[in-house]
Amino acid sequence: MRSAARTHFEHGESEYQPIEGQIVWIDRHTDDDKLFVIDLPDGVSLDHDPGQFVQLFVPGVGEAPFSIASSPTKEGPFELCIRAVGNVTNAIHDLEAGDVVGIRGPYGQGFDIDAIAGQDLLFIAGGIGLAPLRSVINYALDRPAEFGDLTTLYGCTEPAEQLFPGELDEWADSDVMDYRETVDEVPDSQEWDGDTGVITSLIPPLEFDPETTVALVCGPPVMYRFVIKALREKGLADDRIYLSLERNMHCGRGLCGHCQLNELYVCLDGPVFHYPTVRDKEEAEV
Amino acid sequence: MKVIDRSDLDALIEELIASDPRDVVGVQEDGEQYVFDHLESADELTLDYDLTALSPKKYVMPQRETLLTYDRTDDEYEMRAEADPTGHIVVGVHPYDLAAIEHLDKIFIDTLQDEPYRRKRENSVLIGVTMQDVADNCFAASMGTATVDSGYDLMVTDLGDTFAVDIGTFEGDRLLESTKTRNATAEEIERVAEIEADLKDGFDRELAFPPAELPTLLEASYDDMDFWEDYAEQCLSCGTCNVVCPTCFCFSVDMVRDLDGDSGRQERRWDGCLLEDFATVAQGENFREEVAQRHRHRFMRKGWYIYERYGDVACVGCGRCTRHCVADVADPCEVYNELREAQHA
Amino acid sequence: MSDASAPSVSDGRRPRVAFFDFTGCEGDQLQVINLEDRLLDLVEVVEVVSFREAMTEHGDDYEIAFVEGGVATAHDERRLTRIRENADIVVALGSCAAFAGINALRNDQEFETVKERVYGEDSDSITSYPIARPIDDVIEVDYEIPGCPIDREEFVGAVTALVNGAEPSIPNYPVCVECKFEENTCAFERGETCLGPITRGGCSATCVSAGTHCWGCRGMVDDPNEGAYTDVLEDHGLTTEEIIEEYQLYWNWQRDSRAVADGGNR
Repeated sequence: MRSAARTHFEHGESEYQPIEGQIVWIDRHTDDDKLFVIDLPDGVSLDHDPGQFVQLFVPGVGEAPFSIASSPTKEGPFELCIRAVGNVTNAIHDLEAGDVVGIRGPYGQGFDIDAIAGQDLLFIAGGIGLAPLRSVINYALDRPAEFGDLTTLYGCTEPAEQLFPGELDEWADSDVMDYRETVDEVPDSQEWDGDTGVITSLIPPLEFDPETTVALVCGPPVMYRFVIKALREKGLADDRIYLSLERNMHCGRGLCGHCQLNELYVCLDGPVFHYPTVRDKEEAEV
Repeated sequence: MKVIDRSDLDALIEELIASDPRDVVGVQEDGEQYVFDHLESADELTLDYDLTALSPKKYVMPQRETLLTYDRTDDEYEMRAEADPTGHIVVGVHPYDLAAIEHLDKIFIDTLQDEPYRRKRENSVLIGVTMQDVADNCFAASMGTATVDSGYDLMVTDLGDTFAVDIGTFEGDRLLESTKTRNATAEEIERVAEIEADLKDGFDRELAFPPAELPTLLEASYDDMDFWEDYAEQCLSCGTCNVVCPTCFCFSVDMVRDLDGDSGRQERRWDGCLLEDFATVAQGENFREEVAQRHRHRFMRKGWYIYERYGDVACVGCGRCTRHCVADVADPCEVYNELREAQHA
Repeated sequence: MSDASAPSVSDGRRPRVAFFDFTGCEGDQLQVINLEDRLLDLVEVVEVVSFREAMTEHGDDYEIAFVEGGVATAHDERRLTRIRENADIVVALGSCAAFAGINALRNDQEFETVKERVYGEDSDSITSYPIARPIDDVIEVDYEIPGCPIDREEFVGAVTALVNGAEPSIPNYPVCVECKFEENTCAFERGETCLGPITRGGCSATCVSAGTHCWGCRGMVDDPNEGAYTDVLEDHGLTTEEIIEEYQLYWNWQRDSRAVADGGNR
């Protein structure tokens, strides 16, 4: 009889078995955002592609998908930047270094390194969208010989919303990458001596060669259309644009349906999409 | 093809109930409707039903099931994926429901692997039955699922005093080992073919075109918002059409905590794209905020999106969504026919 | 229902909990008492400092306040304000607290008539406001556990979430979802009418499972298609008056609020 089966799995047998990760460091970036540095058993690396995501399970709290914020060029612990916006993420913010979490993944399609190799890279991040892009920005910074010119544009609603503050300073001072930033507005209580205006205001003054540049974009849903329009006006072809889109994956494996975007599954076909793939998909909202 | 006496089929089922470790379930009348449920005896089995409330999908992908448990002892957490392997012997499955499970097998076993599904499925036996009654809302003949030639371990056809039995798998063959059967005569084989052929005339509802045309039709109808909004105006967005569908497989995962805070589980629960929050992300953005978008998504998914991924049209024509929709807007046959008419107007 | 800033208890101590009753039948607190054995498990993880139905002591030092019943008087308002000041987390317990529930039946009616009908000669001594209100019309409410009465499992789930530093979540899918899970015969197929399709689920469709139909006690889902549902009920032979009666039993406050939000009369 085939029914005499085990109910429990050894680690890794079931697709839903997380591996145990330990939070080794937490860094508060803003009132709502924290960076979690997570170590896997025996110090192994996650071995992800830049732009991929993991399902993070917290016992007693629940599970949610997060794009990986660190580059695979950095061995050992990986990093997730998490904004407290709801039930699960609020509780994640209560975690402390030493706490154990479950990790499934990495899942999905990251940035196509083969396709962007040798190209000038233009990274465009809005708000929390810097987290997924940082994985590929740092990848490029660690392997500058594999790419052409590097440029990063970062826009936030206000100065206090900026993620990775220390790293932004390094980027600003970098000889390898041209880094530019803006904020939509500066509340009286905050200091800012940089540009103000929406992220798209950084695009027209840029000088780049549309024949050798690819743009990698991640931000809030409302941002994509405006950024893409500005890029097109600079002569950048659609097939030179890559987008990382956010959806609410429950399974991460193409089954639960929550992340479906027309016929595409963001967890399988994305979260990073070649723009022409999603350009005509109404539900992509790009 | 084998032939088994009616009384011997009953005896076989009694034997399975008595000796097989698996629960034997079959179609029964619960007073107001037909349901698949635990069989106490072969007498409870009703093989001349029209349509059950839920499909036997519930035995391979239950309404709720545990995916993961966690347990804390001495500051150590143990996180353990679970996959309940409980199989069932399911008696009396109509061809369209067999087609639906075959479709789910393709996704949950052959393509994406889902251990909880696979275990239950591989430990289950499906005994199909040729339809003897057709629900008003059923249009399985149009979808090519009024009869099937795979997806079952055994398939029985009522011939009066006897049943014709088609053996679909080795496991089905083994079930018959200790039962008195004989090989079918040419007349009996012919009779089964006639029953199946006649069946196709028994459907009131008919898709006016081959289902293979659905992907093209739906792709062309995507932007016809007037059509979708018109329909959706009456849609209650209650999710019933999703929940009763034998091919819908979307789910949500919920945290269920034990009171002590040290243990609990992740539970998957059937979910549906008609429900308001289904496509909402953490920061509140809903990518299908309008009922019309959700309503359209369901029909697109059934007739087009799933085809793009798996090569199947994901509607088997059972008619459950139509039967259970109190607002009467869920009927794929009607919607697809109307779209087709609008296209050709 | 819950928002990003909603507080939670998570510092590992046994949280102190208080129960309060306002205008209502106290049936929700009775559900808590009826947890019986599980109630003993509950008091292992929380410390109950006030629960008039179950104990004589009373304390004002608590983190979580479960408030049953709606707001009827000025005194209620003052008392609620004090509770809000004392508590880190306020949970509306039951439909009267969450959305005025059955109390709001009177909101459509002439108040003097209502008073006389209920209290007869003593009606002059009644100092209630003419309109029954839920507690979130007076104070900020962190979470709601709807139901008339509440679902015991849902209550235990909410307490479990709170003591573990998580946020309770109440479904936004309608009763139909769980009703189909249970394979109940649809009340409409039995010739009855039912409010399940636009009523918030989470009760395992307990009334339909028991052979009757849904009265809407958990309130409407967030975005009910009320117009379409009215058409359904008309198709099943209900008159406009009968439909309004069905909706009024539990939904008066919610429907009025929705109408205001839509910028018009309902």
